[in-house]
Amino acid sequence: MTEQISALLDDEIALEDAEHLMANMQTHGHGGEVWSQYHLIGDVMRGANALSPNFKQDLMAKIDLEPTVLSPNAAWMNEPKAFNETNELNEARNKKKALDVKSKLPATNLPVVWSVAASFAAVMVVGWMVLQTQVGNQAAPAMVAQAAISQEVTTLPAASEQGVPAEYLMAHQASAPSASSYYIQSASYTE
Amino acid sequence: MKGFVLACLFASALSSASQSVLAASDDEKWQILQKAALAAHALSYQGIFVCQSGQQSKSVQIKHFFDGQNEFARNVLLDGSPREVLSQGGDLIIYNPKNEKIVIEKRRGQNMFPAVLPANLAAVKQSYTLRTGDIERVAGREAQVLFLEPKDDLRYSYRFWIDTEYGLILKSVMFNNRNEMMDSISFTQLNLVNSVDLDWFKPKIDSKKNYVMEDEAPAQADYNPSPHWMLKELPAGYRKVDQMLRMVHGKPLPITHVVFSDGLASVSLFIEPVTNGVKPRAGHSVVGNTSFYSSVAGYLQITVLGEVPEATVAAIANSVVFIK
Repeated sequence: MTEQISALLDDEIALEDAEHLMANMQTHGHGGEVWSQYHLIGDVMRGANALSPNFKQDLMAKIDLEPTVLSPNAAWMNEPKAFNETNELNEARNKKKALDVKSKLPATNLPVVWSVAASFAAVMVVGWMVLQTQVGNQAAPAMVAQAAISQEVTTLPAASEQGVPAEYLMAHQASAPSASSYYIQSASYTE
Repeated sequence: MKGFVLACLFASALSSASQSVLAASDDEKWQILQKAALAAHALSYQGIFVCQSGQQSKSVQIKHFFDGQNEFARNVLLDGSPREVLSQGGDLIIYNPKNEKIVIEKRRGQNMFPAVLPANLAAVKQSYTLRTGDIERVAGREAQVLFLEPKDDLRYSYRFWIDTEYGLILKSVMFNNRNEMMDSISFTQLNLVNSVDLDWFKPKIDSKKNYVMEDEAPAQADYNPSPHWMLKELPAGYRKVDQMLRMVHGKPLPITHVVFSDGLASVSLFIEPVTNGVKPRAGHSVVGNTSFYSSVAGYLQITVLGEVPEATVAAIANSVVFIK
């Protein structure tokens, strides 16, 4: 199942052959989770900005808070046929998309390397800049993140008898790592 | 362009570095080290190295690829939790298994073995002397031993084993002032690669785990001189390399984090206002390879730590002057 989802993501399965997968993902929560996780990993590797961990819940909560507006849809009022037309259009488009996916030929090795490399680098840098400015411009997400942390993390032991909290050591290793600190966690930090 | 320059530099370093080091001049010794600094970035290689620090040791599988322009590396921890570090140039993504989750962390990369030396060795030359040792075998390969020794007691000493053919660091060991080994990283297996595919440049995905982005607010560069403190004389050879504002768990406001380096060793200084009703911390200790020093300057709580002698963290803490 997970292999198939991965293959679908990599365009190795044509969309029309994946109907059972889609149905499966909708009926079993697990498949859907795998699907979104693989997308997250792909986004990070490409340097795209991943949404905050609780984005979906936050969005749903915000939608719940929105007042419900009961007004007839303007497009429907003006053109009763529009709905059917767009539906047909969409269907045609979907068919074309599926064909596109199918006709995708495996590219030769070298151009793929270059494109992956270039996009990873460019987007990664952009991602970083966005990340930095986000933090700079709004204290709110940071605060939310803090709140999330304090709920999740159990208190860390002190890193020394004088009670230097382990957070300082972790911050030091994040910004000025020694070569082995990438692989060996300090004794004060429990995994 | 940067990659091209790197490749050229490496080629020139290769051609000019003398292979007979028995009677090497000072310049020739530094040339070998310079070549090692470049080789880590400019060669494509794969292998396994072992990290030892304190009581712990971990094996890591590395694959490093340089295509003349860009650098890619994937480091996979083979012992304990299967952490992975993927890097492209200076950007790192760490896949860090924690409990039932895999946390994805983004970092700016530096010091990734075997690229432990800075490209510019000028700062290192100021604080350390270099002497050659014997030819020894590491990971089945022939290596030239180099001793990098501090000119004072403000930093530790290093010993490097450098591949006589590839110019790459095969092994790096840090010793403290009592000549005890503190930290060692060594290849157990290494070979050059010349394939161009990048199929391997992705993490191994564990479908049973949840992947989440690190939800910690990252640090943010801080260019503004503070009205409350300044730095007077720093210990010899150490320079400020970075200053940021960082959210630290349990602190309501971001605290100032300043990083100092002598080219090899790094020290972190944290400055924050003393919290009302909390007894300020003061004292010093050494835990593992790390020296800690806490003190109070005016209304400021100072915390300094790093893989350096105690004298150094004390000197950096004492260089902070409180401005009323």
